[in-house]
Amino acid sequence: MEEKVCGVRCKACGKESYPAHAICPGCGGDDFEQFEIAGEGKILTYTDVYALPLDYVQRYLRLAIVELDSGVRATGQLLDDDPKIGKRVKTIIGIVRQSGDRKIHGLQFVPV
Amino acid sequence: MRGVAIIGCAMTKFGRSDLSLMELMGESSLGALRDADLGDRPVDAVYVANMGAARLNKQTAIASALVDRLNLFPAMAEAVENGPASGASAFKNGFQAVASEMADIVLVTGGERMREVNNLEVTDFVASLSHPEAEYIYGVTLPALAGMFARLYMDRYGVTAEHLAMVAIKNQENALKNPYAHIQQEITMEGILHAPEAVVNNPLIADPLRLYDCCPVSDGAASLVLCPLEMAQQMGKQIVKVTGLGQATDTHAVHERPDPTQLTAVRLAAQKAFAMAGLTPKEIDLAELHDAFTILEIAQSEEAGFFKKGEGHLALEKGITSLSGELPINPSGGLKARGHPVGATGVAQLVELVWQLRGEAGKRQVEGAKNAFACNFGGFGNNVVATVLKRED
Repeated sequence: MEEKVCGVRCKACGKESYPAHAICPGCGGDDFEQFEIAGEGKILTYTDVYALPLDYVQRYLRLAIVELDSGVRATGQLLDDDPKIGKRVKTIIGIVRQSGDRKIHGLQFVPV
Repeated sequence: MRGVAIIGCAMTKFGRSDLSLMELMGESSLGALRDADLGDRPVDAVYVANMGAARLNKQTAIASALVDRLNLFPAMAEAVENGPASGASAFKNGFQAVASEMADIVLVTGGERMREVNNLEVTDFVASLSHPEAEYIYGVTLPALAGMFARLYMDRYGVTAEHLAMVAIKNQENALKNPYAHIQQEITMEGILHAPEAVVNNPLIADPLRLYDCCPVSDGAASLVLCPLEMAQQMGKQIVKVTGLGQATDTHAVHERPDPTQLTAVRLAAQKAFAMAGLTPKEIDLAELHDAFTILEIAQSEEAGFFKKGEGHLALEKGITSLSGELPINPSGGLKARGHPVGATGVAQLVELVWQLRGEAGKRQVEGAKNAFACNFGGFGNNVVATVLKRED
């Protein structure tokens, strides 16, 4: 995976979606350009999950859904010791999972 | 489309089993076929519901294997994998086969043997239904999605940890009256929430959800036999008719839903099922909802139309959804306490409805039940099947 996370913007109606779809959920269009999921936004909800899947050695992971100021939402890891619904955060790219030797990069959220 | 009846049902005890997946599915299938008492009528088609045999049990093409085990040749047979909604999906396929006159007698069997692998592996397996790039790679699991859903829901609608515990207490109490249930343990609000040892006995799984907010990992199988309504009448059976079936889908990534506290697919599937049955939610006598997490019972009771949005926890508080209440929800114990062998669950919900409608539910019998509803919830609400069954007198 390259070290940025991208959504798609519909060339017909301009709707941004993430993750990518083959058909635009806004207008049914099928011609897109990529855009990077990055910037500031607010925490919509979060959890500390202790029931983890494979590949993690820590006790828990703090995960969140964040709504970026552009309106696009993303799920990612929340690096914040004092999380609250509505709190301002911004995106960074970090290693979110390590499967064997393979390091997977993805979205992390840190306080603004 | 001709009418369809359920004339046989059975399930294995849910829990940790020493039996193989095929032995489990064989046991419930035979039970349902004996219950149906078909004489020399052949089974025309077999639909098997299962989510994880390929990964958990290293076995594929399990519908053919089940036909072989039961000597049902040359029945048509296939497996249906539709995540945790596989059970009701397979049932829907069976219904369509009978209704369309493609088949007369259909066996639907759901089964899962999850405890073959360790907890990490099984959690990872279920998590593989989440969006691979937008959710799974971050360590998202089903408890994580439920935890984020619960936090937003509680924040918005005033649902508290006590309300969630009420679901767990109610369903575990119901399960004590169900010999097939995985969890056989009485719990109290004090013990799981307020006592000093509660933090140890009931640890966080996905904050704000605790251990007792989550269903267990179970092995088990459940089966139904379907046939045309007319044939069931000729056989002189106590008839349970399939009156409503609805299915709907929603976005794969939960964050893409305009309002992540809405379970739109539950609402749409239930509306379709009620419309087909010609009933309103008020006419339902009992419901089996997909309480993989306690919060989901509350949310689904609203989306299915039984209570207004944001008022499900108030109905729970008043005892309306208790076994002796106006609308008992999860008299079987639900996924929470009956257990959740994923492929079997949707079928087991319907087995419970049939027992209730036939008056065979023992100490958990809802007296005089005539119309019953089930919601089988796949993904984190991205594929939902709703069913309405009716006792025909």
